[in-house]
Formats: sequence, C-alpha cells, structure tokens
Amino acid sequence: MATAASSADPRVGLRAALALRRLADSLEALQVVNARRLGWSWQEIADALEVTKQAVHKKHAPRMRED
Amino acid sequence: MFERFTTAARDVVISAQHEREEFGHPLVGTEHLLLGMLNEGSGGAYAVLRRAGLTRIRVREDVQKALRQGPLGDADAEALKAIGIDLDEVRAKVEETFGPGALHLPPVPRRGFFQKEGRFSPRAKKVLELSLREAIRLHHGYIGPEHILLGLIREGEGLAAKILVGQGINLNELRDQAEAELKTARDVS
Repeated sequence: MATAASSADPRVGLRAALALRRLADSLEALQVVNARRLGWSWQEIADALEVTKQAVHKKHAPRMRED
Repeated sequence: MFERFTTAARDVVISAQHEREEFGHPLVGTEHLLLGMLNEGSGGAYAVLRRAGLTRIRVREDVQKALRQGPLGDADAEALKAIGIDLDEVRAKVEETFGPGALHLPPVPRRGFFQKEGRFSPRAKKVLELSLREAIRLHHGYIGPEHILLGLIREGEGLAAKILVGQGINLNELRDQAEAELKTARDVS
C-alpha cells in the first residue's frame, strides 16, 4: 500500500503536507503560550524555534495580550 | 448589566462560568450559557429544553465534537495517518499535559476586547444583551432564564444555536415554547 508521503497522487501528498502544517501550527501555538507562562522571553522562544524575535512576536503576541 | 436578572437567570450565568472552567476554555461562549440553562435550578428554560429532548450530556458531547472539528479535523487525521502519524495519539499525549482540547489552534482575539479569561465571548455578550431586549419586547420587568434562551435563539449563530439545530430542534418552535413557558409562569403567579 502506497503511503501519502510517497504517493504519486499530488492530492494525497499535498493534503498530508497541509495536515502536518496544521498540526505543527497547533503545537507551536500551544508551546509558545506555555513558554510565556513559564516566563520565557520572546527572544528565547524565537531562538528555540529558529526564527526571528519579530516573527514569533508578530505571530503569537495577539493571542496573549493579557500577559 | 445583571441588575434585572432573576436568581435563576444569575444561576444560569454562574453555571455557564463553571462549564467554561471545566472545559478549560478561555471565554464564556453561547455553548456554556446553553449548558447553564440545562441545570435543573434554571426553571422554565430547563423545562423547555428538556421537553425539546436536550440533555446536558448530549450538549457537552456536541461541544467536544465541535472542538475536534476545528483546524485539526477528521480529514487531517486521515491525511496524517497516511504518513504514519496517529493524530489521536499525538492529541492524547498533549492532553495528558495540557488538558482536553489543548491541541486546538485558538483564534486570535480581536484587539482590546473580551480576551481576559472568564469574560464573555462577543456572541455570548450579544445573547445577554438580547435577553434584555426580549424582556422589554414582552413587557417584562425582569430577565429570567427563558429570556436568556430567547436571546440565544435570536442571536442564532453561536455554537449553542448550531448545537440546537444539529439536535434537530426547530428554533422557531423553541422560541414559541419559551414564550409560552413565560406566559404560564406569569399566569400562575
């Protein structure tokens, strides 16, 4: 049985990529919230995610303006 | 805004807060208000909803189901399974640490409003405002659980309304029932 990762049908493979991105986004959102709760700075979070501080702040700060 | 609320109506709101807490949700939504009305103490609204065949357990299940249909739904689970990732297992692991519904992309709140924990969602706030308007329309000097139900029906687009419709309940009929219930209560007293 062919797996989606190796599937020749783009529809199957692309759908898997989309689902994976959604999963990653959910996990990232959850972990960033948790890190902020634990007192991590935006810089520390950015380093862990290997992105710029600006990028991570822009993406996640609106979710937790109460912090 | 709760000055005119009867004790039973206040209990609905308090009970909605408890439901929110139990789910671990940040805001009180229409679905929590609906669950609040499914408390036996909430008088007329409870009677109307029960007669329509609704139970607390069923609504809670529907709320859970709606959560799972968020950004990570069944189609995503299937696609992930095809590349060897069991979403249920991932979810279980995450929920072990962060609680039910944790693996769910929370919406970015609108700036400046309602994002403080325990506040009402914009729709739930609308429902409460509409409950006052329903009371005024019916020339009632108080707001009871039935008026909250009428407000919820009038708002009509929140998760609670979707759950009601999903349970096969006709919202127009439910409104008539709620108004009839109010009339009976007033005739008796």
